[in-house]
Formats: sequence, structure tokens, C-alpha cells
Amino acid sequence: MKTENQRAWIFVLPVLILVAFNALVPLMTVVNYSVQETFGNNQFFWAGLRWFEEILQSERFHAALGRQLFFTFTILIIEIPLGVAIALAMPRKGLWVSVCLVLMALPLLIPWNVVGAMWNIFTLPKIGLLGWTMNNWLGIPYNMTVSPVAAWITVIMMDVWHWTSLVVLLAYAGLISIPEAYYQAARIDGASNWSVFRYIQLPKMKRVLTIAILLRFMDSFNIYTEPFVLTGGGPGNSTTLLSIDLVKVALGQFDLGPAAAMSLIYFVITLAVSWLFYTLMTRNEQ
Amino acid sequence: MRRTVYLILTLPAVAMAQGWGNVGTPKEEEFTWTKWWIEPLFGGFWMAWTRATLAFFVFIFGFIAIMALIELRYPGGNERNGVLGLTTTRGDRLFIGLLGSAYVFLTWIGLFGTSIVVPLILSAAWIGFCFRKV
Repeated sequence: MKTENQRAWIFVLPVLILVAFNALVPLMTVVNYSVQETFGNNQFFWAGLRWFEEILQSERFHAALGRQLFFTFTILIIEIPLGVAIALAMPRKGLWVSVCLVLMALPLLIPWNVVGAMWNIFTLPKIGLLGWTMNNWLGIPYNMTVSPVAAWITVIMMDVWHWTSLVVLLAYAGLISIPEAYYQAARIDGASNWSVFRYIQLPKMKRVLTIAILLRFMDSFNIYTEPFVLTGGGPGNSTTLLSIDLVKVALGQFDLGPAAAMSLIYFVITLAVSWLFYTLMTRNEQ
Repeated sequence: MRRTVYLILTLPAVAMAQGWGNVGTPKEEEFTWTKWWIEPLFGGFWMAWTRATLAFFVFIFGFIAIMALIELRYPGGNERNGVLGLTTTRGDRLFIGLLGSAYVFLTWIGLFGTSIVVPLILSAAWIGFCFRKV
């Protein structure tokens, strides 16, 4: 039985080629590099699984991974509830809808390195608005080039500022798709605001929140530009996240073999956590 | 005098017999299967292929190709509820199997070093388990 038109496959082909060249070929190259040693000039020497052993047993990798996990889970814990709260507070109709949406979209439009630079200047003790206010006005010592705590607070605030909007927009899209009839039914039953949120709004937002958590997890777990511009991984190594450490190994030290092994481990972690999130959150939907 | 002349005349032959003639010429390298397996496949190419890594990808893409063939023969993905409480298709089971194998290898390498025989057996067992039960 030959019924379907197979022409769609041809239309998919360009994407397939694109993915092959920007994802598959680099990934294969990384696998190849991860078991070899090179000193440049495209000459390679077999190293076996030595790099993996070295990375998995290195204190430096454990520390960077720990910082990365801490960063990711901190921003998730802040951004998701905050995003949902802002989306709930936003107007559903009228002129202010567009105003709010544009305001919310603004941080997302700013290039990542600019976000880093902005926050860098913002928190400088001498000229930055936040840094000056904290140090000179409130008398709280706040200098992210000296204090790891200040650096961490700045990095997390920056990410929250930059990316909560994404959660807001997604949650808002979920909220406005709820038909008015649900709210009317809730009102007739005399449901409290909390019950409306718990039994109507939250279940209806579940899908978009799943996507929001997944996107924020992957993005923040792979974050590089903003903390690199903001703190450069410092002071010391205190904000050296996994990606920053990886770039140091690959481009700073030119250790392509260990860097490749490290990125594969990184990749496998991202893959597993994303899969786990997705599976757990969509499990009961079938 | 005559003895000295004989000595000088025979010296080159003796030296050659001892292998002095080979000094500076590259040694013919012995062929071993290990070396064949891990040597650069296309010398000077930036993707740095070796037969070992090529085999790795052939294994994975071969697995996916077999999945495609099975799907063509028995469409629908053979969905079922497995022991993990998940509804999985054949492709899901392959994914879980391969991802789990990666973790088996990483855990083994992190704890016990770079020997691969045991993690290989464990991974094969895990993939088998995934296809039977998950």
C-alpha cells in the first residue's frame, strides 16, 4: 500500500544537513579528541581513556561541577516561583498587557556579553549605582572583585534579572490559555485564590513550566558568556563554573584531549538531567 | 704489516655483519593489531579518526539503523510499561540503554581506572536489561 506523499522528507533534508554540520560532526570530533593527545599540527597520539580518568578524579573538576550545580539549582529555585508570581500579577486584558509584555521581553533582547558588562559596571564600588549605594550609602562592603560572596550574589542576581522574563512569558502564555469558564466555575464553588491557583492555574501551566524549567536548566548549566564577562571566574576560582573551566583547559592551556573528555562528561550530565526532568514531568500525561 | 692490512680489509664486512650498516635508517615497525586499531586513520585530518573511535560510531549508528529496520517491519514502536514505571518505545529503551552505559563507563573509570572489560560487560547487561524489562 503506497499512499503517502514522501516529499516532506526532501524538505527536512536541509535541516538534517545543518544539524550534521553544527552538531554531529563537532560531537564526533570531540569524541575522537577525547581519547587522543595532540600538540597541534593535526598530529594525534593515542591516549586511551586516560583523560577521562584524570578528569573524573580531579579536585578541580569536582569543584567546578559543584559550583555549576549550585548555580543552576539556585537560579531555578528563584526564577521559577518568581516568574510564576509575576505572570499571575500581570494584567490579562487592556492597554497594560502590551506594556508589560514589552517590558518583560526587554532583558531577553540584550546580548549576553552586554548583560555581563552592564552588571559589571552596575556593581563597581566607585562608579556603579548598586556598588556605590551599597558601599557608601548603606555602608555594606560589596565588591565582587574581592569577595566571593558578593561575586556569587551578583552572578545570581544577573541571571535572575536576565532570564526570569522567559519564565514569566511562558507562564503568562499558559495562564491566558485558560478559558474563563474555569474561573466562573471556581467562583460559583467559592474557591479561594489559593485553590484557584493550585487546582486550575498550576495544572494548566504544567506543560509550559516543564519547558521553562528545561530551558532554564540547560541554559544555566551551559552558561558561559555572562559570568565570564562579569567576574571572569573570580575572585580566585570562586565563580569558575564548568564551562569557564572547560574553556580554560581547552583554549587557555590548549589541552584538547582533557578538554574533550571534560566536555563529553559535561554533555552526558546535561543529557541525563534533561531526560530525567522531561520524563518525570510528562510521565502522568499519557 | 700484512695483518694490519687484512684487518682493515675485513673490518667493513665485520661491521656490516654486526648491523652497523643500519645506523640511521628508520626501523621497520612491527605490525600489531593494537597499533592498527588506534593509529590515525587519515593522517593529518583534523577530525582525528582512529579505527577504535570509528567502530564506536559505527556501533551506535548501526544500532539506530537496526531500530529503523525493525520499525519498518513492525511499526508502532512496541510501546509498553516497563519496570521503571515508564511507558517506553524501542527507541526510548535504546536511549536509556546507551545513556546508562555511558554512566557505567564513567563510574567505573572514575573509581577503578581505565580497564574497559568489566564496564563493557556491565553495559551490555544493562542494554539487554533495558530491552527486556524497561
